[in-house]
Amino acid sequence: MKRYAYYLSCINESMTKEVDRSIDLWQKDLGLEFVKLHESTCCGGSNLDYVSPKHFALVNGRNIALAEKLGLDLVVSCNTCLMTIRTAKKKLDESPELKQEVNELLKKEGLEYRGTSNVRHLLWVLAEDVGFEAIRQKVKVPLKNYRIAPFYGCHILRPSTVLGKDDPLEPSTLDMMIEALGGTTLPYEHKNRCCGFHTLLVAEEESLNVAAEALEEAIEIKADFIVTPCPLCHTVLDGYQAKALKHANIHSSIPVFHLSEMVGLALGYTEKQLGIKRHIVT
Amino acid sequence: MTGALELHTEEKRDITLRVFRFNPQVDSKPYFDDYTIQIEKGITVLRSLNYIKEHVDASVSFRAFCQAGICGSCGMRINGISKLACTTQVWDELSKCREAGIIKIEPLRNMPLIKDLIVDMDPLVDKMKHYSNWIETRMPESEIGKKEFLVSEEEFRKYDKATDCILCASCVSECTILRAHKEYVSPAVLLKSYRMNVDTRDAIHDVRLGELVKDHGVWDCTHCYRCQETCVKHIPIMDAIHGIREDAIEVRGARDTSGAKHAEAFMEDIEKKGKLVEATLPIRTNGVAWTLQNLLPMAMKMIMKRRTPPPPPLVKPAKGMKKFRELFREMTEHVKAEQKSHKK
Amino acid sequence: MKPFDIVIVGGGGAGLYAAMEAMKTNPALNIAVLSKVYPNRSHTSAAQGGANAALANKAKDDTVELHIFDTIKGSDYLADQDAVEILCSEAPKIIRELDNIGTPWSRLDDNTIAQRPFGGAGRPRCCYCADKTGHTILQTLYEQCLKKGVYFFNEYFALQLSVKDSRMKGLIAMNIKTGKVEAFPARTVVFATGGYAKMYWNRSSNAAGNTGDGQAIAYRAGIPLKDMEFVQFHPTGLRKSGLLVTEGARGEGGYLVNAGGERFMSRYAPEKMELGPRDLVSRSIETEILQGRGFDSPAGKYVHLDLTHLGADLIMSRLPQIREMSMYFEGVDPIEEPIPVRPTAHYSMGGIDTDNFGRTVMEGVYAAGECACVSVHGANRLGGNSLLDILVFGRLAGRTAAEEARKFEPSQISQEEIKDTEASLRSYMQPSGHFERYGVLREELGQTLGMNVGIYREASKIRTGIEDLSALRERFRHVRVFDTSDVFNTNLLQVLELKNMLDLAETVASGALAREESRGSHTRTDFPVRDDEKWHKHTLATLEQDGMKLGEKPVSMGRYELQERTY
Repeated sequence: MKRYAYYLSCINESMTKEVDRSIDLWQKDLGLEFVKLHESTCCGGSNLDYVSPKHFALVNGRNIALAEKLGLDLVVSCNTCLMTIRTAKKKLDESPELKQEVNELLKKEGLEYRGTSNVRHLLWVLAEDVGFEAIRQKVKVPLKNYRIAPFYGCHILRPSTVLGKDDPLEPSTLDMMIEALGGTTLPYEHKNRCCGFHTLLVAEEESLNVAAEALEEAIEIKADFIVTPCPLCHTVLDGYQAKALKHANIHSSIPVFHLSEMVGLALGYTEKQLGIKRHIVT
Repeated sequence: MTGALELHTEEKRDITLRVFRFNPQVDSKPYFDDYTIQIEKGITVLRSLNYIKEHVDASVSFRAFCQAGICGSCGMRINGISKLACTTQVWDELSKCREAGIIKIEPLRNMPLIKDLIVDMDPLVDKMKHYSNWIETRMPESEIGKKEFLVSEEEFRKYDKATDCILCASCVSECTILRAHKEYVSPAVLLKSYRMNVDTRDAIHDVRLGELVKDHGVWDCTHCYRCQETCVKHIPIMDAIHGIREDAIEVRGARDTSGAKHAEAFMEDIEKKGKLVEATLPIRTNGVAWTLQNLLPMAMKMIMKRRTPPPPPLVKPAKGMKKFRELFREMTEHVKAEQKSHKK
Repeated sequence: MKPFDIVIVGGGGAGLYAAMEAMKTNPALNIAVLSKVYPNRSHTSAAQGGANAALANKAKDDTVELHIFDTIKGSDYLADQDAVEILCSEAPKIIRELDNIGTPWSRLDDNTIAQRPFGGAGRPRCCYCADKTGHTILQTLYEQCLKKGVYFFNEYFALQLSVKDSRMKGLIAMNIKTGKVEAFPARTVVFATGGYAKMYWNRSSNAAGNTGDGQAIAYRAGIPLKDMEFVQFHPTGLRKSGLLVTEGARGEGGYLVNAGGERFMSRYAPEKMELGPRDLVSRSIETEILQGRGFDSPAGKYVHLDLTHLGADLIMSRLPQIREMSMYFEGVDPIEEPIPVRPTAHYSMGGIDTDNFGRTVMEGVYAAGECACVSVHGANRLGGNSLLDILVFGRLAGRTAAEEARKFEPSQISQEEIKDTEASLRSYMQPSGHFERYGVLREELGQTLGMNVGIYREASKIRTGIEDLSALRERFRHVRVFDTSDVFNTNLLQVLELKNMLDLAETVASGALAREESRGSHTRTDFPVRDDEKWHKHTLATLEQDGMKLGEKPVSMGRYELQERTY
């Protein structure tokens, strides 16, 4: 059994509860154990950094320190949380002064940021630690009838100086995952593009245009569903789908699955068990 | 000594350039022309296009000037990504082709098309003007040319990378938000604005910043990082955008615009609960009226599916929140003390 | 159309400074800047090194006087000493002015503008911004022009001066975006179109557009060109593109190696080896190639610049730009393989003959920058003086034009002249009698210039070159523009640029043949020494009714007597 500290993303605690629920279902099947960090706090999204860079370092230094206390790598299943926490890690690792300032405070909670735990996305753990071959062998219900459009989202790819696992513009890990689960991955121009989530509340029209374009292509290439490793992308592509398509005058729809749900389907769990019924588009 | 000339030959291959064509005088819509030519290793995309123009089809139109990666004329999309044709090796593109051996060449996006691979740069220049992308000097007119400003190397480094920008418009072409709305300021102009705003020789910082926080300005960036990833000069453009936002919150306050309010909400929530209170985020960003008008229909759907974020009292605080809050507030004191000593 | 007070042709450093200064001198004037590219694309951006000015920030004992002497000596005593005095004494003011309006500069510890040593200068006086000085200066000037609301006509190609009864009436140009020929009636025209070294084509480091458009237009209007035979060669250009590999590569310990694997500089400069002066290293590489000890390839003959022994770490940390360039433009990683190089033409000392204020012999016509020859560079330009030249004389020409513009009567350009010009452009597209491909002619132009009027020159070869040029000009009459569209016809532009280069090439070759001495960049194997008695003078090439005529003009002397130029 491989053990990991698991970061609780705010959105997975509220709007997209199905993500953690589905991971809970199949983690043991793949020989994984995710230890939930109930003390972890919001990473600050991509906002806290410019409101207060110091608090940003404190909050995320602490999130990582919680994993380090357990001697485990920190696994994240939201792209933006991943990018944010890794950005903070980079800053702490590059600045001994900042690290010291943060650690002086963390000491009071019995914590220390040392930089020993890696911060990784769920997708990377599946690809690297379990491996595509092992996954292929565990598949019970191959997704062989499905044509799938992989939507990576931005913050699992970019900035490459912080992420660096996939090519920032030509990613392939999610495609390989789809293939490992027996599905057909489609050439999808929007796979490396943005969902529009981060401007939903400040420039809604722009966000809807962005989302509509990605949805439109998936519909055009006759995908059965879109899969994404990010709950924020999911919230836009699923939750705002009707609004975006209406805005773009497109009369159609397409389901959007979380990575964790797609894995669950192939491992033999039902849509109901995985929480897919909770989606807006079903 | 050998007197003989050694003939050096390179590996060669037949390669197809699939070039976007459109002549507004005769074409009702764009199309692609395939040019298959023998290309040797070490040749750039621009040299291949030059070869096609000289030997195959003189009507293929594109811009090129310095051919050395410094003038920024030959920005175009090669296999889907905006870059300079003059610094792109054909051989490096072969692994990126969707169809083996076929390199797709298209004009930059997000700017009006003129012909083939040529787009109109005027909208970008207009935005540079709109956002005062120049220094308005603090030096009195009568003193100009008489003395230097004293500028530290440290300050120079703040805008050093930003001044590498050659306005090739690759970032403009790749920008998510510009594609969604043509009024958007655009990454290149944000970068230049940042460069001007951190320069102590400049006198109109506040005017420029005032313009940047308006609609279609700095808060509309969706941080997809495409601009930065495709920058041909490897400039960290997002650092500049973050820099403007940081500056905006510091100078104009956190309640200045919906973007700033949105950012500030994260800070509040983390301090209170350690978790984001998503249910009230729209209201805190845009106010009650906006939220009711824009989000109510969707909220209904979400309630049906039990997808609504819990109301504030029901957001479960992170475990050990009390201790954490102390640390958080102590950091606030650090920051305050620092700002004080900075002002002195 | 309402006549302009000033039409500036060219949007590089000289043109933009002229525009800015003209607006400052008289804000009421109606000023236009025409450029065949967006101004920020101009070749000024390619200048990496910096601009000389005796600010004495770095060396406290530096003076304008020392700068003047270095420049005159560097010019092999062909520069006009009064002009050099203006160049050097304006230098500190203009660098400070640029600083004041926002040009970024690298800084010294005391926060003043950084300066570094440069070839031929007795003190470290080259002001720089990392390795992008020209780029940042151009950006600043463009920004300031946008701020001041300078009226730009971007992507306009200048075709000819409209001259009637030897009075200049304005400029005729083509709007590249529409293909329409348009009149720009003007009281004054300032040419600032850059150099002509691209006529050596792929043996040139210049931008594709450095085709001497302004010089050619002025020349065809009867204005004399000065010292056209002086073209500076840089020793290490990339084989395929001619682009520069900067001196840093040799400075860090790179070897020059011939096909026999020999470090041949041991035979030319046994002590300094690869670090000998530019002209000597250029001549040595050329000799190796001419005597058959170079490599050959479809892209031409070359030698190796070998950095492989320096190791990956040093190359990545100290020479990252050079590595990037080799990979981008040759597909060669210098960590793994030697870089193919050969000398490359990169600067033209000659140009439109002007006085010290940018005036030409034709009233109302001015010139500045590499396009002009004042002359401050004489037979050989010093590094760091080209940016300075465009700034100082760009500003002076702008000021002079602004002061003098209202002296000239406004005039109009006739519709007939526009129609005739338009017809002559369309004629290139006629299939009958037009069959030559421009690319072939341009290739041959570069080749014959490189072989016969290149680094080494001698009478018989130059004559061959002149014959080739006249044959090429004859063939050009049959050149065909295959693209018949109006919108952005780059094929037509290439042909028009070729015409400019062909016209100017004759002046370069003829000057080279006439000048029977070796001075600065001009090396005659049949006249290997400087001959002050016969040739301490400028050459002037003027187009008359029956063709080109060569004349001469004395050099203005001052404090500095002729001396042998040794370093």
